[in-house]
Amino acid sequence: MVRFENVGMRYGLGPEVLRDINFHLRPGSFHFLTGPTGAGKSSLLKLLALSHRPSRGLITLFNKEVSGLARDDLPAMRRKIGVVFQDFRLLDHLSALENVALPLKIAGAKNAQIYQHVAELLEWVGLGRQVDAKPPTLSGGEKQRVAIARAVINRPQLLIADEPTGSMDAEMGLRLMYLFQELNKIGTTVVVATHDLELIKRFGNPVMYLKDGLLTTSGPEQSPAQSGRAET
Amino acid sequence: MMQLFGKSAELQLEKDVSTRYLPVVISAMIFLAALSIGGLFSLNNAINDWSETLTGNLTVEIAFDPTADLDQKVLDAVELLTNTPGVAAARAIERDETLKLLEPFLGKNTALGDLPVPRLIEVIIAQDSAIDLAALNDKLSESVAGARLDIHRPWLDKMVLLGRSIQLLAATIMLLIGGVTVIIVIFAVRTGLIMHSEVIQVLHLIGARDNYIAEQFQNYFSRLSFLGALPGLVVAIIVMFVFNFLVGSLEASMLPPLSVGIEGIIALLLLPILVALLTKYTVRLVVLKSLGRMM
Repeated sequence: MVRFENVGMRYGLGPEVLRDINFHLRPGSFHFLTGPTGAGKSSLLKLLALSHRPSRGLITLFNKEVSGLARDDLPAMRRKIGVVFQDFRLLDHLSALENVALPLKIAGAKNAQIYQHVAELLEWVGLGRQVDAKPPTLSGGEKQRVAIARAVINRPQLLIADEPTGSMDAEMGLRLMYLFQELNKIGTTVVVATHDLELIKRFGNPVMYLKDGLLTTSGPEQSPAQSGRAET
Repeated sequence: MMQLFGKSAELQLEKDVSTRYLPVVISAMIFLAALSIGGLFSLNNAINDWSETLTGNLTVEIAFDPTADLDQKVLDAVELLTNTPGVAAARAIERDETLKLLEPFLGKNTALGDLPVPRLIEVIIAQDSAIDLAALNDKLSESVAGARLDIHRPWLDKMVLLGRSIQLLAATIMLLIGGVTVIIVIFAVRTGLIMHSEVIQVLHLIGARDNYIAEQFQNYFSRLSFLGALPGLVVAIIVMFVFNFLVGSLEASMLPPLSVGIEGIIALLLLPILVALLTKYTVRLVVLKSLGRMM
């Protein structure tokens, strides 16, 4: 599903922010990604979301090596990945419904099909009454749910979330995580980056721990300090 | 048309302050371009008219001589010309008519009548005739003292050269206008790309192709160019009408009126579409090139 082999990443001519990253995520797995601020979590997520290319190493997504993927092939690959950004990145001038419909519209789906799916999904994330609301009028939690709906509307094989509970209270954060679990149950591979160790302990999924650009992987019961090559 | 000028749904380019004045700039460019086209086609028509009028049309000039009977000389010259094979017609131009021809240069003046003007004969050469003009000139000079055949060619050649030079200048101005328009559009698009880089990144990450983003830019900028071009064209046409009115109101003008002909009218009407297309493909090229540098 997802395989990183000796992956390194740097921005421009700067130092490597990720070094010798090796891991393999099986289809349908659920992982947390954690580590101190500046450890490289966002950079790792950028590689997973195909927003940046690695400076070295191989990345295989959905059985295809993507580090040198041609530009024309990127959109099709990206449509298999859903991304929930930390700052939501919703388009403020579009309604909740239009924001969520965007990936389908871009993929060329028919309008009738789009709006039926979107309305159902918004209902499922509890925003059935706010389909016409613009993001500036929504609360942080509501925006987050719109962002999640947009990320999953295409039924992605891989869902990436960057600090999804960062802008909401504990109860809303828990509800959101249950939503991710539901998506995981229907076969979506999920990677959630978070600082919230309580959340990680509560859900007990495998943890990838990043520190100083190096990755450590552990099971839920282990301390995230054990280093080495990992297969989870 | 809606597809061509559709709104930029996700990028909201309509709200960009940076492009607010683009239609005004395009309007000014189209105004200048329309005037250049007007000049270009009018000159072309004028040159063709001169050539048509003067080809096969000669003038015999009999020098002023206060001691000679000029009327008799004119009659002799007309008789000789009429009997020359290849000459279709020869007509003596009356003195008053000759003085009228001088009015554009000297104005209406009663003193004109005192001028020692030569007498003129208009000669029309028969179509497809192979007349030897040098031999005719020699024969005329021998038979009628002071008579000389003027074939207009050197004058016409100079006028055509002047006309073509002005046409070249107008075409160069057109090219410059096109180049400046392209540069202005490139700057506006690059500013738009920077201002909307975050939304573009989101669109890319949810699977948008570069074409999808480029279409929003090209549609919006084409619309701006098209709508900006219309007032510029209308004002230019009004200016041309005013110019023609002023030229027409002069009693004896050296300036020909602006007459663009059917080709010129088509070229003028095509201007807004052409500038919209130029903008569209410029924008497309710039956006695709810029997006190609992103991942």
